[in-house]
Amino acid sequence: MSETVEAMSETVEAMSETVIDTRHLTREYSRDEYKVVALKDACLEVQKGEFLALMGPSGSGKSTLLYLIAAMERPTAGELRVLGQDLNRLSDGEIAHWRNAHIGFVFQSFNLIPVLTALENVELPLKLTHLKKRERHEHAETALKLVGLSDRLKHFPRQLSGGQEQRVAIARALVTDPDLILVDEPTGNLDAKSANEVLEILAKLNKDYSKTILLVTHDPHAARFATKVRYLDKGELLPEGQKPAD
Amino acid sequence: MGRYFPLVWKNASRNRRRSLLTISSLALSLCLLGLMMAIYHALYLSETDPAQALRLFTRNRVSITLPMPAFYLQRILAVGGVKQAMEFQWFGGAYKDARDPKNFFARFGIDPNKIFTLYAEMRMPEDQKKAFQSERTACIVGRRLAEKHNFRLGDRITLQGNIYPMALELVVRGIYDNELDPESLYFHWEYVRQAMPGRDQLSAISILADSPDSVPRIIHAVDEQFRNATVQTRTETERAFGLSFLHMMGNVKLILFSICAAVTFTIMLVSANTMAMSVRERVREIGILKTLGFRPSAILGIILSEAMLIALMGGIASYFLARALCGVIRSGPAFSSELMTLTIRPQVALVMQLAAVMIAFVSSFVPAWSAARINILEALRRTD
Repeated sequence: MSETVEAMSETVEAMSETVIDTRHLTREYSRDEYKVVALKDACLEVQKGEFLALMGPSGSGKSTLLYLIAAMERPTAGELRVLGQDLNRLSDGEIAHWRNAHIGFVFQSFNLIPVLTALENVELPLKLTHLKKRERHEHAETALKLVGLSDRLKHFPRQLSGGQEQRVAIARALVTDPDLILVDEPTGNLDAKSANEVLEILAKLNKDYSKTILLVTHDPHAARFATKVRYLDKGELLPEGQKPAD
Repeated sequence: MGRYFPLVWKNASRNRRRSLLTISSLALSLCLLGLMMAIYHALYLSETDPAQALRLFTRNRVSITLPMPAFYLQRILAVGGVKQAMEFQWFGGAYKDARDPKNFFARFGIDPNKIFTLYAEMRMPEDQKKAFQSERTACIVGRRLAEKHNFRLGDRITLQGNIYPMALELVVRGIYDNELDPESLYFHWEYVRQAMPGRDQLSAISILADSPDSVPRIIHAVDEQFRNATVQTRTETERAFGLSFLHMMGNVKLILFSICAAVTFTIMLVSANTMAMSVRERVREIGILKTLGFRPSAILGIILSEAMLIALMGGIASYFLARALCGVIRSGPAFSSELMTLTIRPQVALVMQLAAVMIAFVSSFVPAWSAARINILEALRRTD
């Protein structure tokens, strides 16, 4: 296992600056006797340090693309390399390890564990590393400090506002210092002020720490925080600069 | 796996009421299981007291409730290896109000000049022994029985016979100490024999062997002696004789096994239901853990550990509960001398904890396995 991870890390280093590289990526679902094409022939390249927003209406395939990149599901056809790794070649166990080591994920509905404090939630991905307890605490505290929640370490999710919960989720996503942060509609459940705070944090992570971020959103305001925007429409990734027709 | 313990602990205690109810039901069931095993161990597996090992009983081969001729006693005394033998006659009868269970205790007619040889572990002051031996209507009572009924030396006790239609008027002349038999009353069998001269029959004869080696020889010789007699005998150890009383209720081993099996199966269902509910409520969180990189094996381990934690808490509580119940049984009516020393032995305690772990594993494996294999997106889409 460690050999595989080392090989993966070497591949990552050997790669140029391309973090995501998809070629004709397709994902179909079978619903009874019907086939639904959620994503068709998607070709996407994301370079290191980019903050890319994927936009499109509901059902356009943006979340599907995100889940494929996160290896939460497997493509029906096409090639997918993330951080130089061909994810189709990894077993489920290796994918889990790879995800922990390289990917940070932020969900629309925060997805914190309700029985754990903010600190414990952020510490959770570090439990899969070789870090000692004290080191895990230090890393988690640092991540929470980065998102401005150093005074909420012992608070449970129910004791936090929506915006604070999402900031905890961001801290959890970045605590392992991932190469890629995937963000799925992060402001969907937030008021305008909290949404701005969250988006500013993401922008700061990209600008100050050169984090590669892939943001899925249907909110044009959120997309403005990204450095680049691509649109999807009816399962197709439109060429750069092209917007879907109304 | 140790680093996941805080998560396991928090998951186990997230729904405190349900966890407490599960722990309680496990504790009660495992306590019953432990108690049954302790009784089984006490009755069938525990070591015999050295004094008991030398004692045998002869009774009617057909049933303990049928008599045998009284002259068998003299014939048994002549058997090689028999150090002493004595009539040991169940009297039955009623003391005061027979409907009150408190008034039920064992009453035996014996030979006062032999009993202290056969039952050397009975401790009593010499003057009380002499008083008992010298007076035909005298009786002795166990310490606990005396305390229960407030019997004192010189008190009169009337037993209204049912097997023997007579009123037995007795005077307490001694109070003995014997951990194995603290609640019996012994009186001169000669008293009944003289009052009812026509009934020269006995239901049991107590035998003392001169050495452990003589025991199997005596058993064979006594029964062989009456092989062709009208009333054949069965000679057995004191423990087996005591158990034959219990076996009058039915197949005790089968009863004990059936209770154990029913308890284990029931608690497995309760535990499985709890774990299934607990996992079902957290499918989304399992999806989150998987997103963070937790492998299916880790998810499986976390859920199994949670079930085992709850089960072990129930197991530990059941141990203390069972110990307390053993104390209650020890201080209750003395149905069997083996139960007078009833306790949860280390091996029984270990089996109880292993049963707890086994129940946890079996009941949680299917929900844990399903959770570990669930698709991330499917798990994340769950809203309940």
